[in-house]
Amino acid sequence: MAARRFPRSTTALTAVFGFVAEFLTKEGIARERAFDLDLILEELFTNMVKYSREGKEEIEISLARDADGLRLTLRDFNVDRFDVTATPDVDTSRPISERKAGGLGLHLVRRIADRFEYDYRDRVSTITVWKRL
Amino acid sequence: MFEIRFVNSSQIKLVGRLDASQAEAATAALKSLSESATADCSELEYISSAGIGVLIETFKRLRDLGHTLTLANMTPRVRNVFAYAGLDKVLRIE
Repeated sequence: MAARRFPRSTTALTAVFGFVAEFLTKEGIARERAFDLDLILEELFTNMVKYSREGKEEIEISLARDADGLRLTLRDFNVDRFDVTATPDVDTSRPISERKAGGLGLHLVRRIADRFEYDYRDRVSTITVWKRL
Repeated sequence: MFEIRFVNSSQIKLVGRLDASQAEAATAALKSLSESATADCSELEYISSAGIGVLIETFKRLRDLGHTLTLANMTPRVRNVFAYAGLDKVLRIE
């Protein structure tokens, strides 16, 4: 398992993607897998940055091999509860005039991840995502 | 890194990774488009919801001016993101 903390800013995304690339190389996993992992992590990380504004601490991301794939975990410390798994899905049947980017990130995570869960205890938000290889 | 190459007033090329850290600058750069345009996406390596938001806003702005934005030559991975978002049928994608 590898874990690293990142400043709560979108400018940290390059470092997040670098962390993913480093992990894949170390585990001998094809670089092509990075696209989906980068997308999942970007959407969840930026969601924490945008919606948990009370948070001041760095966000921890950990990557680990699981039975049949990878487990991605994001931990946000000393924040209010925000259950990302409970947010409504985007209605993709709406015309373009009514479409916005808001909410689209979690919609993409739902499509790409095999499973994702939310846990909140001691003011720590934890999102765990499983992605088969 | 992300770059927008302006070939002429109606042809642009999106190059690199359009993620949340690039969205603000990309939106500002695309405001220079004021007529129907085609964006060559053959070298667009990655896009997230923030990047899609930039293209939706540009598409809507041009449409309100009576123009359109066409997205061309997407790689399969990038096209998949638009398909997951349900936008492959409502945006002009070639």
